[in-house]
Amino acid sequence: MFKINYYSKDNLLIFFLVLAISAMAITPLFSIIISLLKIFFLNSSLDGKFLFEYIRNSFDILFFVIILTSIFGIIPSFLISFFRFWGVNFFKYALILSLAIPPYIFGYSLSSFFENYGTAYSLLKFFSPNIGNNLTLNLSAKTMTIISLSFSLFGYIYLLSMTTFNNQLGNYIEMSKTLGISKFRMIKSIILPLSRPAIFIGISLVAMETLSDFGTASFFGISTLTTGIYNSWFIFDDIQTSNLLSIVLLGFILFLFYVENKFQKKKKFHDSSYKSKKIKPKELKGFYNFLAFFVCFLIFFISFIFPLLQMIYWSIIHSNYFYNFDLLALNLNTLFLILTTSSILLTFAFLCNFGNRLLKNNFLNIISNLSISGYAIPGILISIAVITIFSTISDLLNIELKSVFIGSFIGLVFGYFFRFYSIAFNGIKSNYLKINYQIDESGYLLGLSKVKMFLKVHFPILKRNTFFIFILISLEIIKELPITLILRPFNFETFSTKAFEYASQDLIEAAALPSLFLVLWTTILILFSSKYFLKK
Amino acid sequence: MFFIISFVLFFSIFQSSLSNEINLYTTRHYEADYEIYRKFQNITGIKVNVVSGKSKPLEKRIIEEGKNCKGDLFFLADAGRLYSAEKKNLFQKIKSSLLNEKIPTHLRNDYWYGITKRARIIFYNPEYINPERIKNLNYEDLGNKEWNDSIAIRQSNNVYNQSLVASLIYNLGEKKTSEWLENFVNNFYKTPMGNDRAQILAVAAGEAKLAIANTYYYALMLSGKKGKSQQEAAKKVKPLFPNKNNRGTHINISGIGVLKHSPNKINAIKFLEFLVSEEAQIHLSKNSFEYPIVENIKIPEILKLISKEFKEDKDTPVEIYGKFQTRSFNLMLEKKWN
Repeated sequence: MFKINYYSKDNLLIFFLVLAISAMAITPLFSIIISLLKIFFLNSSLDGKFLFEYIRNSFDILFFVIILTSIFGIIPSFLISFFRFWGVNFFKYALILSLAIPPYIFGYSLSSFFENYGTAYSLLKFFSPNIGNNLTLNLSAKTMTIISLSFSLFGYIYLLSMTTFNNQLGNYIEMSKTLGISKFRMIKSIILPLSRPAIFIGISLVAMETLSDFGTASFFGISTLTTGIYNSWFIFDDIQTSNLLSIVLLGFILFLFYVENKFQKKKKFHDSSYKSKKIKPKELKGFYNFLAFFVCFLIFFISFIFPLLQMIYWSIIHSNYFYNFDLLALNLNTLFLILTTSSILLTFAFLCNFGNRLLKNNFLNIISNLSISGYAIPGILISIAVITIFSTISDLLNIELKSVFIGSFIGLVFGYFFRFYSIAFNGIKSNYLKINYQIDESGYLLGLSKVKMFLKVHFPILKRNTFFIFILISLEIIKELPITLILRPFNFETFSTKAFEYASQDLIEAAALPSLFLVLWTTILILFSSKYFLKK
Repeated sequence: MFFIISFVLFFSIFQSSLSNEINLYTTRHYEADYEIYRKFQNITGIKVNVVSGKSKPLEKRIIEEGKNCKGDLFFLADAGRLYSAEKKNLFQKIKSSLLNEKIPTHLRNDYWYGITKRARIIFYNPEYINPERIKNLNYEDLGNKEWNDSIAIRQSNNVYNQSLVASLIYNLGEKKTSEWLENFVNNFYKTPMGNDRAQILAVAAGEAKLAIANTYYYALMLSGKKGKSQQEAAKKVKPLFPNKNNRGTHINISGIGVLKHSPNKINAIKFLEFLVSEEAQIHLSKNSFEYPIVENIKIPEILKLISKEFKEDKDTPVEIYGKFQTRSFNLMLEKKWN
């Protein structure tokens, strides 16, 4: 076997580079854990019953969001994978588009559509002028939060169950058909157990997003753990309580993170290297054809078309706001952030993955695996951590770093790095695993240098999926709110900060245009890469 | 990669190297504000750089940046937040006889200056309530049994509500305010949700009898800027200025202070003085429908029309909103105001 010489110069260099990048990515986690220690020494203004209320609200929302997203995700993916009906090929891709709409933007649309004298009223009035205002739905704030989160997050479960249904089940189903197993038993004993790991990964992603959601809950005024962090900070001026809540939240999220990783491993077990046969979908006729179409259409309409139409409607009605936006600057800022952040993230991720593969060092491996914890930390906490970390370093070293890192592009990119590094790292890792180690060994035996190995052998294989990872990072950055809001430099706006500003000033109609552009970006990115979404 | 990093470095250094400028942190996001910044630049040649955001993250940023803070000014909506920033030593004292002369004493102190003013008032639908019956209404009366199931107001985590309750603690004492809150919360027509505008709409729709909201939301709806349906709804509703026979109606301010380590202090003061000029005051009021802080400034017709009976509470110093904020929020939560 090819032996690693740890003492060679370039190996040491790679070792320390990987260590530095991975250690850097863990700093926010440490900074939050250190703040936990402080809590024990300081009094907190928090009353036990508030904490209980925050947790209860968070879990109420979580419970219903998980149920709804599972229904919205699994049913259409099941229909699309196993049956043929009208529009099936369209819905297959169209349902991914729900991921283009951030939950808070769905929330803006939902509340203004159904409020007193809202869009629903205006529409009805258009058709029958004498109508009163008593037709509008009166949904509670909690219900609206649940609906908004469910319709904008179910895409995760949809995608993951789609890929299992299509890539892994074909052979088993074929076999059970030959064995004459009943449909019910096929669902119960084959489809469900085999797709469970993937669906659980989807659910834990949804749960993480739900627990760390800030935009939606704060818009509807629900006291969840995340908004509680804000409230205790804003109103009681009590950073300690806010840290305590952060820890509780982080505890739950890290647990989910652990669950997700566990199932990722399980899923790999099912990932057979040979190609699974394609499922032969059954043709639906008559009423059932219509029903399947209707279910998919309804979910697609509510999750994507409805908020889109609401935003287009506002942008037209209130076109006077159009002149308020420096659209060129907003688009350039978005482009700039995407390109800078993803090229840095991808470079780091390539380096760390290559280093891990080359050195096969256990310590490095553990650190690298920890380095993806940032995804579990809500954006608000990340941004507080960025400010704290750089100001601490600056004070410790007595060097002026604050103006370079706090309130600058660099600081902002650091924030994104902490939060989204896992997407890049995991994405490349999963592709790296598909490259056989023997290739490396024979390459080195033939005298390839490490750089050449990466450039000539690995990179060409990894290239295709890198584009997809780039898209995933970009989607997150465009939708990201708290980190951008808190860490950005002077005069720097993105579509999400613009939309949030207007919405928080109760000018939702003015938030429509930036929201629309945001969705335009995310939609285009998703359409560009829709094939990859279903392949993975 | 290297190229990008150097580009970013260059960009961020370039950002902060211009000298004829001021850096402003603000929690106000009105478009009218941005127009004011442009006007100021046109007149003085001084560029206003802006970061907007929520008050506490901005506070945190300013504190951590310490002496290296590039910010010159901090603009905050709500007196309670101004107080909080002052207590954290974020501001410095400045001297300007112009500001002292133009801004009434109770709406400024040594560290910060009120720029605009809003009142938190009651709205009713004359279709359901006889104006005669409520013409002498006080905030204190909203706890009475006759208003059972009648009152629409947003949640307790809203700073305007906290300031309103703080003003009651100041005027009635904590014990009485607590009793009042108990009854007041019982009178809510449903569990609070939505913004100020949603409360006014609930009254327009006849769901609630009385709504509590800030004046500018109503003026904004009436002006038609929020669309025809909202205008139609606003027309069904009438404003009522409470406590006009005693201390006057509860008001709040947006205010601004010069940051402690301001690198462009002279320009910052110039900007402050510009904000209280007639031009700026008229512009702000015209676009955001707030009241000017400077007296005898022309206000827009709509605002004039709805403010005929406006008697401002000048006895309650606005900074107590900040002093009593924690107490008021605790009381509200204790009485189950969600």
